[in-house]
Amino acid sequence: MLRFIARRFLEAVPVLFIIATATFFMMRLAPGGPFDSEKQVSREVRARMEAHYGLDKPLFQQYLLQMKHLLHGDLGPSFKYPGRTVNEIIADAFPVSLELGCEALAVALAFGLAAGMVAALKQNSAWDHVPMGLAMIGLCVPTFVMGPLLISAFALHLDWFNAAGWFFPRDRVLPALTLGAYYAAYIARLCRGGFLEVLNQDYIRTARAKGAGGARILFKHALRGGILPVVSFLGPAVAGLLTGSFVVETIFGVPGLGRYFVTAAFNRDYFMVMGSVLFYACFVVVLNLVADVALVWLNPKLRFE
Amino acid sequence: MADSTPMAMVEPAETGGGSSFWQDAWHRLWQNKLAIFGLAVLGVLAALCFAAFLWPNITGYSYEQQNLALGPAPPNHAHWLGTDPLGRDLLARLLYGGGISLMVGLCATAVSLTIGVIYGAIAGFAGGKLDMLMMRTVDILYALPFAIFVILLMVFFGQNIILLFVAIGAVEWLTMARIVRGQVMAVKRQEYVEAAHALGLKEGRIIFRHIVPNLLGPIIVYATLTVPEVILLESFLSFLGLGVQPPHSSWGVLIKEGAEVMEEYPWLLIYPGAVMALTLFSLNFLGDGLRDALDVRGSKD
Amino acid sequence: MPLLTVENLRAAFHTRNGVVRAVQDVSFQLERGETLGIVGESGSGKSVTCYSIMGLVPQPPGRIEGGRALFGGVDLLACSHRQLNGIRGRRISMIFQDAMTSLNPFLRIGEQLIEPLMIHEKIARTAATDRALAMLDEAGISEAEHRLKMYPHEFSGGMRQRVMIAMALITKPDLLIADEPTTALDVTVQAQILELIRKMQNELGMAVILVSHDLGIVSGFCNRVMVMYAGRVMESARTDDLFYDTKHPYTRGLQNSIPALQMKGRELHTIPGQPPDPHHPLPGCPFAPRCGHAVEYCARGEIVMLEAAPQHGTACLRVQKENLSI
Repeated sequence: MLRFIARRFLEAVPVLFIIATATFFMMRLAPGGPFDSEKQVSREVRARMEAHYGLDKPLFQQYLLQMKHLLHGDLGPSFKYPGRTVNEIIADAFPVSLELGCEALAVALAFGLAAGMVAALKQNSAWDHVPMGLAMIGLCVPTFVMGPLLISAFALHLDWFNAAGWFFPRDRVLPALTLGAYYAAYIARLCRGGFLEVLNQDYIRTARAKGAGGARILFKHALRGGILPVVSFLGPAVAGLLTGSFVVETIFGVPGLGRYFVTAAFNRDYFMVMGSVLFYACFVVVLNLVADVALVWLNPKLRFE
Repeated sequence: MADSTPMAMVEPAETGGGSSFWQDAWHRLWQNKLAIFGLAVLGVLAALCFAAFLWPNITGYSYEQQNLALGPAPPNHAHWLGTDPLGRDLLARLLYGGGISLMVGLCATAVSLTIGVIYGAIAGFAGGKLDMLMMRTVDILYALPFAIFVILLMVFFGQNIILLFVAIGAVEWLTMARIVRGQVMAVKRQEYVEAAHALGLKEGRIIFRHIVPNLLGPIIVYATLTVPEVILLESFLSFLGLGVQPPHSSWGVLIKEGAEVMEEYPWLLIYPGAVMALTLFSLNFLGDGLRDALDVRGSKD
Repeated sequence: MPLLTVENLRAAFHTRNGVVRAVQDVSFQLERGETLGIVGESGSGKSVTCYSIMGLVPQPPGRIEGGRALFGGVDLLACSHRQLNGIRGRRISMIFQDAMTSLNPFLRIGEQLIEPLMIHEKIARTAATDRALAMLDEAGISEAEHRLKMYPHEFSGGMRQRVMIAMALITKPDLLIADEPTTALDVTVQAQILELIRKMQNELGMAVILVSHDLGIVSGFCNRVMVMYAGRVMESARTDDLFYDTKHPYTRGLQNSIPALQMKGRELHTIPGQPPDPHHPLPGCPFAPRCGHAVEYCARGEIVMLEAAPQHGTACLRVQKENLSI
């Protein structure tokens, strides 16, 4: 098992390296620079600002410098927010995104697993069609439609929540629901599929022949096989939750990392972009590893390799 | 389960001709009301959007024709779905945008299909180390937040619609590659391929007559299910201002514009949102129906 | 009073392509400690009969369309789910053909072995584990303590089947239904497994229903044999009577087809033709199209089991009407 983890970390290093390189060159080769919008300053001042950040050096030299900084964990300064380093901004903004992501994931798992299991147990009944119909809605209505609709209904008309902001605990509800809806739907379908397949297996028949009741069959026998597709999905799901947060953070005014990332990209805030991308990539790699470990752990056949 | 569901025995010739796999599949699909509904809706929508493309003034207004004097108006006799703050007819924009969204959907899906099928087929046929390497790459890529790269691409390199197809297609090919490779491997091991070899059939003939037909099923299903994901991704990008640019419209653009003025002019959000949701529903129902009809089971989905 | 009485059992599957009448009008009785063999080819309905008794037929698309299965005063086909669960695994146990797929790959053997005890008896885990160890011992599995912690895929085919048997018998049931327990095993292992079942049967005094397509196995093991074809019982008799006084052409055909009993070097005997299409049953005797003794009324008459000799029933119309010698 340890070898498995170690191997995965080793695989991750070249991947992160490639990502960093690709991002670097993509940014620098793109038209436009970080100070283009500073219309007020004169040419010379601009040149000096660029020199200050080392942007006048040859491209390859900048690249090597950047890599060196990255290896030391120094993500550099932000252009758009002078006086603040990227590390600081990420340290402030990421916990917000993390909280939102966790809450959305909790919503997705709670609704998704419950709906999927019930739908599989009562296949082709109303308990199957209704949740799966709702799941379809969750899949087909994008976050930026659902968000405004939820705001309109619950915040503006019913006045249960604030329309935006991230100050009170109840401010978490609508954003988490909006972000989690798509994943709840996906998980519900995967879970239903997984459970249906398991419930048709011979070993479930054996359990019935032993006199096992519904709950025992579901939780002791079917669960471990049935949630495998969901666990597989968790890796990409987390990746999606992170990116989906861009939109949700924008709509609900959540001061999270996603918003910073998009604005940084628009503003050509090089170091901020690089920092965010790498940060996300690392995060996703780690989480995927966790999901894969869980997958292997759940399946005894794989565990002893 | 040896006896639980008795298998159909060999049919004597008198009971009439058998039906081929595709005929059976079509028959099953036809019985799936939701899937047929989806197919019908898609057909109508596609026809309307295509018509709007060919005859831009079909509703009496073009998608970019402004009427500043009129301004935003709720649905009325002259403008069936109302107008936006610039006085543009929503119906015209909706149909035109639909055409663009559908086109992006189809083209990007085609890109991802091409890449995915080729990649997956090579991995599946090759087997061994090459396959392991290729699939490991796919595993790693699958987990990364690709949308980030698409965003970067679109931000930095401009809003070229061709780039949009390629970027989106490059994100979605992974699943297709996995499916195709899985299917190739499964079919390769089937006994009927061994039997064909034993009968002395040539490699090429085996590939074309036995392996390829068995690939079509999953490919069709997943292509159908990829289109809605692509449309969602495109609308996501448009929402961020990165996809289709004004004055062109796509559903994503329309929804973005509608969300901005949602409180005062709700119809501008509701109609595009509803139409897009309806289209995605239809595609998903159709995809599900195809999956059931062709009896395809994905490995991870 | 017999242990199990099955009367006019009818089960069908409602599929996309039509209705399949898997079991039609099957009746039999089983006494305590008796061994009944049910023989037939694939599709004969022998397994579905047993699944129906145990309530294991998936209810869509399957359906029990009639009949009773009386066990200890309870009609298994009509009782509540709770009652059925109380009987399954405790008083009637079942083992299946493929032990690999019939054991849960995600759970350790020990866990699965003690499960019937945990469900049906109020005993502590440690006590249950002790009994599981004893059972494994009885079943001829060495290093029992170590094995309890293992997973199914770590066992060989024969050992898995032993584990299944141990699991089925740990509650000392009155009846064991064995659905083709040896079909997936090597010949040498087959004999061992049958030995084991026989041994346990003697110790526990339980009845056994052995389902198989192999007439040879059944004849060596069972007191009575029931031959099924196309969902119906064709002949039912004590084993010796079935062989020495055969009263149905199908049974005779099966006997003749046993390869080991045929002369070497000659063409193997087969019953000509194919089993009937279950979607389109024809009137009259289902075996008539393939039967060398068939006459024109065979394709018309209503098929019922009648006693042609003491404790020897047959459904052959010709035997019933004319006392034909097979």
